[in-house]
Amino acid sequence: MYAIQLANRYLTSRIIPLIAVGAVALCVALVVIVVSVMSGFLDMLKSSGRTLMGDVVINYPVRGMPWYDELVRAIEAEPAAQAATPLVDTYGLLRMPYPQGAEKEVVTANVWGIDPASFERVTDYSRTLHWRPPADQAEADAMGPDDPRRKLSPRIVADGLALRRGDTGEPGLVMGLHVSIVNERQRDGSYRSRYGWFMPDHRVTLTLVPISAKGTVAEPREQVFPVVNEFRSAVYQIDKNRVMIPLAEAQRMLRLDEGTLHDMEAPPNADGSQPVLGRSPARVHRVLVRARPGVTPDQLREAVETAYARFEQACAADPSKLVKPPLREMVSILTWEQHLRDLIGPVEKEREMMRILFSIVYLVCAGLVLSIFWAIVQEKSRDIGILRSIGASRGGVLWIFLQYGLVIGLVGGVVGIGLGWLVITNINAIHQAIGERAPLWSWTACFAASTIALLMTVRQGLRGVLLPTLLWLVGAITLGLAGAGLMAHRGTLIWDPAVYYFSTIPDRVDWVTAGITWLGAVVFSVLGASVPAAKAADIDPVRALRHE
Amino acid sequence: MSEAPLLQARDLHKTYRMGRLDVPVLRGADFTMRKGEWVAILGSSGSGKSTLMHLLGLLDEPDRGRGGVWFEGQPVAGLRGGARNHYRNRSVGFVFQFYHLLPELTVLENAMLPCRVAGAGRAAAGHVRSLLTAFGLDHRLHHRPRELSGGERQRVAIARALANEPRVLLADEPTGNLDARTGGEILDMITGLHRQGLSIAMVTHDPAVAARADRVVQLVDGRVADR
Ligand SMILES: Nc1ncnc2c1ncn2[C@@H]1O[C@H](COP(=O)(O)OP(=O)(O)OP(=O)(O)O)[C@@H](O)[C@H]1O
Ligand SMILES: [Mg+2]
Repeated sequence: MYAIQLANRYLTSRIIPLIAVGAVALCVALVVIVVSVMSGFLDMLKSSGRTLMGDVVINYPVRGMPWYDELVRAIEAEPAAQAATPLVDTYGLLRMPYPQGAEKEVVTANVWGIDPASFERVTDYSRTLHWRPPADQAEADAMGPDDPRRKLSPRIVADGLALRRGDTGEPGLVMGLHVSIVNERQRDGSYRSRYGWFMPDHRVTLTLVPISAKGTVAEPREQVFPVVNEFRSAVYQIDKNRVMIPLAEAQRMLRLDEGTLHDMEAPPNADGSQPVLGRSPARVHRVLVRARPGVTPDQLREAVETAYARFEQACAADPSKLVKPPLREMVSILTWEQHLRDLIGPVEKEREMMRILFSIVYLVCAGLVLSIFWAIVQEKSRDIGILRSIGASRGGVLWIFLQYGLVIGLVGGVVGIGLGWLVITNINAIHQAIGERAPLWSWTACFAASTIALLMTVRQGLRGVLLPTLLWLVGAITLGLAGAGLMAHRGTLIWDPAVYYFSTIPDRVDWVTAGITWLGAVVFSVLGASVPAAKAADIDPVRALRHE
Repeated sequence: MSEAPLLQARDLHKTYRMGRLDVPVLRGADFTMRKGEWVAILGSSGSGKSTLMHLLGLLDEPDRGRGGVWFEGQPVAGLRGGARNHYRNRSVGFVFQFYHLLPELTVLENAMLPCRVAGAGRAAAGHVRSLLTAFGLDHRLHHRPRELSGGERQRVAIARALANEPRVLLADEPTGNLDARTGGEILDMITGLHRQGLSIAMVTHDPAVAARADRVVQLVDGRVADR
């Protein structure tokens, strides 16, 4: 009872505990912010994994797998698999419609030929389509006057989904939002057209290089595609590089489409051509597979391996199939996590770094509380002697300071989480602000405050009191430096999306981590308090009261 | 022998260690106080008066193996832990020369502290308030000690010592830090309490103060002598 009362008084009657609370709060906020961002990363990566490539990928690059329809059917017969889709994966050149004039920009691109219907079943592709007309009038009103979404044709989503212009029936191309340079991200996360260009109004020329059966380069083929929509997977690397066209177009341009199979060893026919052996099937480079809900990627991978073995045997036993699929050993079957190892690895490593940082931050908390309480116990040893002399137990004295630590941990933790939440939810705006010049008012305000502090310094100096003079001086210098820093600030891009994969910073608080951090702060504050508390409990009343 | 003395010390030894040097302060001190008695302890500075009081109040421990302290006939010097705290809290009330109030607590809270330590908060509030009122502090209840004069502070300290209605008041130079008039007021107060039946052991330098007591003893060479 008296312990609560005293802990309460010691807390409220001095400034040091406030400093401790502030320090604990800063530690907690730091951890909450960094871990939330890291967890946000991993979550984004994991959810985007599906969007990018389903759960399991069968890969046989360059030459491609024949009879993929049957492979897809064999995989979809597995109970673990929800859907599978064939895919052509290659690189090509993309000639942009900009700038004005004859010299157009050309970029390299990772080109995916997809079968839109099954691709959608495997990857939730439709969710990544960026351009959508406003759902209702309210949403339209919320958009800026120059927002390109205001004047979108209602067809645009359907066209993007089908990779085909609905009006003309032309095969279309969907490109990543950052493949072109014209989309500029706004503070609110929407995009505006730079220089007035809007890609879905234009056509691009795609050049692909087919590879012959012997592995040599054949005559490049080019084709003009209308851009029907753009997609945003949120993984910057992909949004910057990838374009998608219909599977059939990709196969045709790469000569992976169905053809006739000639017998090259037999003597030529009278007209000089080789005799026909049969049909040469169309090929794809990949098959993406999505797991049924509740099936892990690893379980699915095993099922897919079984299905592939079955498919390979069936083809081998089928005399009508002159062309056989590649052997199992030649084909890689990986979960998306294995496939994107180089993407996920660094993030996981960074998270490990965080864990280390974690423990250091806790130690800082404990050390802070320890040293502050040590000073308080030192200062309060006479009070403690008094308490002991009127019959307070060691436990009671211990409890005063443990409670003290508990309150500092609890309050500091709550304040820290609040601070972390504030920063996290505004992290993209903050980042944006850091990336730009500081506004005029910010540094003028700093300079004004600095001037006031300077005047106060002079005033206190004239009154001849040293501590306030010094404090005001420190304030004046700090504010002045802050103002100068803001004035000199030209905008720095801290978060380079090209390095961090994602185009926005995750802005949701990881509440589990926040809770654990809070608990950790409390535990370590109490631990830190326990050392001085034990010292306090050991204080000898006679010694403490001896001298005045 | 009809009744055991209220508080008794026999053959108390206390030696302080100063580095390698042993400084004997008490060398077989005896002390007896009957119920309702006011005993004044005189002695020159450094003679060990405070040391004796601390031993009587169980704030400190005598040298091992010899002598001891008895309260109402029970040996108490060897008490440990809870029993020792209970003795300090209930059986005796201690008043120091330098008041020793807690600066963060108000007058009322300071005086209430022993009750709170005992686990009795509200119940004792009325009693403590009436003590403070009797000491003329009713208009000061919610002030901090630093806002009080020395005499007022010492009155708060006495109220605190009496909060749990102890059998014995141990006062170590309660007027030593006060001017003659204020000290006189405090002495009048203590005299009043004594008339109501409180047993008092009081250390003083001042023979005039000692004159008010029922009996005076003197501490010389680590022993107690009657005067
Ligand atoms: N913790 C200690 N360590 C060493 N010596 C001590 C200690 N406490 C007391 N002394 C010594 O013991 C002797 C008696 O001290 P004590 O305080 O009991 O004297 P006193 O009679 O109360 O004196 P005063 O009238 O000045 O208050 C003194 O010489 C003092 O220096
Ligand atoms: Mg003394």
